[in-house]
Amino acid sequence: MRAATPSPGALLTAVSPANSRPAKHVWRSREGLLVLPALVFYLAIYLYPLSRIAAWSFFDNGPTLTYYRDLLGETMYYRALANTLEISLLSTALCLLLGYPLAYLMATTAHRARRVLMILILIPFWTSVLVRTFAWIVILGNNGLLNRTLIALGVTDTPMKLLFNMTGVQIGMVHVLLPFMVFPLLAVMSRIDPNTLRVARSLGASPRRAFIEVFLPLSRPGIAAGCVLVFLLAVGFYVTPALLGGPGQVTLATMIDMQINTFLNWGLAASLGVVLLVVIGIIFAVFSRAFGVRELTGSGGA
Amino acid sequence: MTSTPPGRALLWLFGGALIFFLVAPIVVVMITSLNASPYMDFPPRQISLRWYANFFTSTEWVGPTLLSLRIALIVMIVSTVLGTLAAIGIVRGDFRGRQALEMFFVSPMVVPIVVLALGLFFLFSSAHLLDKPVALMLGHTLVATPLVIVLVRAGLRATDASLELAARSLGATYWRTLRHVTLPSIRESVAAAAIFSFLVSFDEVVIAIFVGGPDATTLPKRMWETIRFEIDPTLTAVSSVLTLVAVVVLVAAELLRKPTN
Repeated sequence: MRAATPSPGALLTAVSPANSRPAKHVWRSREGLLVLPALVFYLAIYLYPLSRIAAWSFFDNGPTLTYYRDLLGETMYYRALANTLEISLLSTALCLLLGYPLAYLMATTAHRARRVLMILILIPFWTSVLVRTFAWIVILGNNGLLNRTLIALGVTDTPMKLLFNMTGVQIGMVHVLLPFMVFPLLAVMSRIDPNTLRVARSLGASPRRAFIEVFLPLSRPGIAAGCVLVFLLAVGFYVTPALLGGPGQVTLATMIDMQINTFLNWGLAASLGVVLLVVIGIIFAVFSRAFGVRELTGSGGA
Repeated sequence: MTSTPPGRALLWLFGGALIFFLVAPIVVVMITSLNASPYMDFPPRQISLRWYANFFTSTEWVGPTLLSLRIALIVMIVSTVLGTLAAIGIVRGDFRGRQALEMFFVSPMVVPIVVLALGLFFLFSSAHLLDKPVALMLGHTLVATPLVIVLVRAGLRATDASLELAARSLGATYWRTLRHVTLPSIRESVAAAAIFSFLVSFDEVVIAIFVGGPDATTLPKRMWETIRFEIDPTLTAVSSVLTLVAVVVLVAAELLRKPTN
């Protein structure tokens, strides 16, 4: 997508008269200086704090691997890692399963209807995660709207357990993450030429076959981008597992909070942070090897 | 496209159900907020605005709300300035490592917010800034700036760089070109970025939990504590107000985006 539009630099070279060449060089380098304030800010408030995490995890009056040894020695931390991956994989799969048909519907519908659907997705998208998580507590609780309705309808006698377990976490996470799947899918699907499907049909393919053999492969970059985005966000998710999950849904993120705010074990919190970053790095590396970085960052994202 | 009518109807049914799933919880909370009883009945048996009255009068809620507004306003200004300048530097500048810097600038979006919050916790505890509003402002600016950069970058790529060159070749200085040509041409995306950066800070909770405290409790942190320890029906009113803020922000940003399309 980016390759299609000429870079501003190329544009300048193309239109600039020859006699302005020396001035142009100064102009272009001076524009670059505008990144400096942000760079200073990022070094102080972003890179330095991240290096402090690494320092806390590897030093305790001298270099040490104690914290990592603690992590390896306790099954509690394995559980947190396994929970994190399990929750993230499941919510990514659910988002793809639910989001693909929705994105397909939006990509193939008239512009006005698509705009309405988009607004209906954007309103919850921009509503605070905390508000939405609280809404699910109101709805899914033992005495919540859903259970009261189900009991009134005679579907069950005793309230179903929908909160503080995997069900609650998945409902809450999919609610937050679904748009992150739909947007990249939609971006890719809208660029698929409808004529390719018409050609497939006119050559005798059934609608199903045309979809599976033409549309689905063409939408692959969107699937890749959406899955990576949702998975990366899910792995680091904190608010939803903390509020809607139970003891069985302790994740790396909630464990970091516990180490800092309850056990006051800063070194262990730091090493958990490093583990979380490594997990994210691995996910990104695996996906970009499978699909290519360009598909993940360039063409897929909106 | 070439989908059979019954399949199409099924698809709409599915899409409608999914949209219902996305929107319904927010609507439920808004309706619940009108309860006269403290039991969060749905639908409310008696209508009242007592939880809104409580939200707007009790110091427990007003203080954090004002603090959140103050922080969000400053974050909006700082991150919009930093992010806009950085975006111009990246898109129009020409220097070594430009693409690497671009990725670095956007990368906080991929780092889990818990990890950012942990790093900020270490930083501010050694700087003795924990539980101070300035710590929250700096932390939120870190979350908002990448968003500003992404939005303004898109705006810049959509404008014609040759206009700036024309201004320069007609004798305008570097700063005059920036002020009178570049910035006006990306006005809409900068304004949208400012609005969204305000919202990002106003809603942010994880950094508020890690570096805030009793002296620097933002509205989301107060909500967090209330949800965790004792559910208070005032939360339904707070949630409705926050949702309305988000809708207003969205409409404003949408109106800003229209002229460029």
